[in-house]
Amino acid sequence: MLNIDNILKNVQKPSAYTGGELNSIVKNPDEVKIRYGFCFPDTYEVGMSHLGMKILYHVLNLRPDTWCERVFAPWIDMEEEMRKTSTPLFALESRESVRHFDFLGFTLQYEMSYTNILNMLDLAGVPLLSRDRGEGDPFVNAGGPCAYNPEPLAEVCDFFTMGEGEEVINELMDAYIEWKQEGGKRIDYLKKIAKIEGIYVPSLYDVEYNSDNTVKSFKPNCPEAKEKITKRIIKNLDTVTFPDKFIVPYTNIVHDRISIEVFRGCIRGCRFCQAGMIYRPVREKSYKTLTEDAIKLINSTGYEELSLCSLSTSDYTEFPLLATELLKVTEKEKIGLSLPSLRVDNFSLDLMEKVQKVRKTGLTFAPEAGTQRMRDVINKNVTEEDLLRSARLAFKGGWTTIKLYFMIGLPYETDEDILGIADLAHKVVEAYYEVSPNKKRPPSVNIGVSSFVPKPFTPFEWAGQNTREELRRKQQLLKNAITNRHVKYSYHESDVSVLEGIFARGDRRLNRVLIEANALGCKFDSWNETFSMEKWNQAFINAGVDPSFYVRERTYDDIFPWDFVDIGVTKEFLKKENEKAKDASTTPNCREKCSGCGANKLCEGGKCSVKI
Amino acid sequence: MLKYDFYARYRKMGRAKYISHLDMVRVFNRVFRRGRIPVSYSEGFNPHPKISFALPLSVFYESECEIMLFSVTEDLSADELLNRFAPVMPEGLEIIEVKAGKPDVKHLSYCLYDVYCNLPSSDELAAFLALSSMVVPKKTKSGIKDADIRCDIADIKLEDGCMSMLLSAGSNANLKPDVVIKAMNKYINGYFSGDCEYLRKSIYTNDMVEI
Ligand code: SF4
Repeated sequence: MLNIDNILKNVQKPSAYTGGELNSIVKNPDEVKIRYGFCFPDTYEVGMSHLGMKILYHVLNLRPDTWCERVFAPWIDMEEEMRKTSTPLFALESRESVRHFDFLGFTLQYEMSYTNILNMLDLAGVPLLSRDRGEGDPFVNAGGPCAYNPEPLAEVCDFFTMGEGEEVINELMDAYIEWKQEGGKRIDYLKKIAKIEGIYVPSLYDVEYNSDNTVKSFKPNCPEAKEKITKRIIKNLDTVTFPDKFIVPYTNIVHDRISIEVFRGCIRGCRFCQAGMIYRPVREKSYKTLTEDAIKLINSTGYEELSLCSLSTSDYTEFPLLATELLKVTEKEKIGLSLPSLRVDNFSLDLMEKVQKVRKTGLTFAPEAGTQRMRDVINKNVTEEDLLRSARLAFKGGWTTIKLYFMIGLPYETDEDILGIADLAHKVVEAYYEVSPNKKRPPSVNIGVSSFVPKPFTPFEWAGQNTREELRRKQQLLKNAITNRHVKYSYHESDVSVLEGIFARGDRRLNRVLIEANALGCKFDSWNETFSMEKWNQAFINAGVDPSFYVRERTYDDIFPWDFVDIGVTKEFLKKENEKAKDASTTPNCREKCSGCGANKLCEGGKCSVKI
Repeated sequence: MLKYDFYARYRKMGRAKYISHLDMVRVFNRVFRRGRIPVSYSEGFNPHPKISFALPLSVFYESECEIMLFSVTEDLSADELLNRFAPVMPEGLEIIEVKAGKPDVKHLSYCLYDVYCNLPSSDELAAFLALSSMVVPKKTKSGIKDADIRCDIADIKLEDGCMSMLLSAGSNANLKPDVVIKAMNKYINGYFSGDCEYLRKSIYTNDMVEI
C-alpha cells in the first residue's frame, strides 16, 4: 500500500483518494488471478456517479478469480503532489500502483475526457501507445457510448468493447485465464478475443486513406478479425446481474444517490441523439424487479434518495404502477424519489407534488428547437401547444421556474429557427401571467442553449458542423432577440463543442493529435478551469492534422471510420431519416409504428423487444 | 412524538480519519437507515435526523472517544441499539458503547491527545512549558490570527513514542495539538517535529471527569 498521507494533506478533497468506503470490495491479491483497474477518466465526484461503473464493478467482483478496483483521474492539485513525490497512479481499494494490473478498462462517456486517459496512463507509467506495450503490461481497453467510434483512440487502446458489458466482460476474463494457462504471447490473447462478438482489436485492421484523407479501405489483417463488429446487448434486463450494493462515498459526489435503470434504449427517434440510436431497441425491466432492486439498495446503502435512470422515464409502459410502488417504499423509508426526464402531464405533476412535497423549484423541458419546422427536422415530436399546455399546468400548480433546453447549429437550420427560441420563451412567460395563481411573484424562464454536435450512428452523421464563428453569431442573434427580463439565457462554449465534434467523427489520425495534446498538458477538457483552446490548436499543428477536415459535410459515398461497427440500426435507415429531415417530415415512435430500423435483429428470433 | 435520548461513543481510525466533520452527519444518517434505527427527525419541510457531536474532530485526526448524540422514537435498550449499529458501520468507524441520556457536554473543557512525531527532550519540553507566552497563527472564526496559546495548554508529557497533550477544548477555548506543534517548532531551538499523527484519547469536564 502506497503511503499517501502526506500528499493528501495538501489537496482539497482527500477523501476522493482514500478508498475504504462502505461496500467497496477488498480482496486478497494472492487469492485472485486477475487484477482489473476500472478507470473513469474524470474526477472521483463525476466517476462515482456513473451507474455503468457500479454495474461492472459488481459483475467483475462476483468472480472469485478477479479483483476489480476503481481508478479515477486525480484533480490538478493531487496530480501535482503525485508527480512531485513520484507517486504512481493507484487503485483506490488496494492503494497499489496499477502499473502491473492485468487490465485497465476505461469508460468513454464523453469525447472531452480522452486526454485524461493519456494522462492517467502516463501517471501510471504505462506506455501510451498500444504498440509500445509488451508482455507483462496491462491490457488497456475501453467501452461505453463513445467507443462506437473507437478510431481516435485506436492506437492507445489494445481493444474495445462494443455495447453492453455485463456478459462480454466475463467472456473476456474467461479467455484471459485460458490464455494464461496456455502460456501465450500478448498478441495471442488479442487474437483470441477478436473472435468474441462485440470485441474490436484495432491492431488487427489496416486502414488506407484517399489523397483527400477520407477512408479508402478498412480491412482485417488476420483471419481472427471479423469484418463487422456487432454490438452486444443484454436481451433480458430482469435476469441480468444488477448490484445489490453500491459503494457509498464519504465526500459529496455529483449524483449521490441510488439510481435504478428502468429501461435501456428509447422509443423516440430524435435525429440528433446518439443515445437514442445506439441503445436500441428498448428493453424494459419489470416494475417488480425494479422495486426489489430499490429495496435491496436502500437497505445496503442507507441512501436518502432514489432516482430513476433512463432516457425518457415517462415512456416506461407501466410508469404509474412503478411510481406508486416506489412511492410506497420511499415514504416508508423517509427518502426522496427523484424523477428526471418526465414528460409533464397531470399524472406526473401530481406525482411531483407528492415526491417534492413543497419545494417547487425548477421544471425542465427540452423542446430542443424553436420552430415547429425545426422540431420536425430533428423529429422531436413535441408541438408548441404541448409545451405551453405543460407549462400552464405547472404554473397553475404553483411552479415559477422553468428551464428550457435548446440546440443551435442543427442541420437545415435558418435564422428564423434561432429567433423562434426567443419567441417560444416569451410565450412561456405570457402563459405564466395567464394562469399563475400568484402573479405578483415573477416567473423565471431559463433557457440553456447548447451547440449541436453531429455524432456517428445518427441520421445527422453526414451533417456539416457549424464553425465557431457561425455558432457565436447565432448565440449573439438569439441574445439580442430576448427582450423579456424574466427570460435568462445561458449557452455552452462553442470551442468545446467543435472539438467534441472533431473527436466524435474522428479517424485514426487523431491519435497523433491526442498524443500532442497530452504532451502540451491538455487534461480535464470538459472543465472550464483547465480547458485551453490555444493548446489544442497547437496540438493539431504539431500533429500535422487539419481540424476543419472533421467538421465538413460528408457524402453518402464516404466510408466512415466507424462503418465496421454494427449497432443493429442500419445505415440505410439513417439515410432515410436524413432525407426525411430535409423535408421536415417526422417518423412515429417505436410504439406507434415500427419504422424498420434494423435493431430487431439483435433480439431473440429477430422480433423487436419494444412493447406495444 | 416520543423521544428517547442516547449517545454513542465511537472510534474514528484508519481511513476514516479522512472523513470531514461535515460529512460525518451524512455518514450517520445512512448508518441509521441501514441499521433500522428509528432516529428522531427534525420537523419542517425538509426533515433530517437530529444528531449532534460533542466536539468536532479535524480531518487527519484519529480518535478513540468521539461522541454522537441522537434520539430514537421507540423504546429501545442501549444494548439493542449497539447491536443495530455494529454491523452497518463503515471501515474505521466503530461504536464502543451506547448509553441512554445525555452526556455532560455543557461542561466539556479539556481534551487529551497523543501526538506521534519527533519528540523533544524532556529538558526542551520543560523549557517550552516554562514560557509565559507562545504566539502562533491560529484559525479563529474571523480567519487566521496570531494568538497566545499558553493558557490553553494544561499539560504536555512525554510518553513512550509520543507526546500526550492535555489542552483546552469546547466552545470557550479550543486548542488543537497541531497548533501546539507549530509553537514547539517555533520556540524550541533546533527542534523539528516532522510529520505528525494525532490521536484524540479522551474528553473531560472542567472537573476532569471523563465524558
Ligand atoms: S425495429 Fe422497429 S420497433 Fe424496434 S427499435 Fe427499430 S424501429 Fe423501433
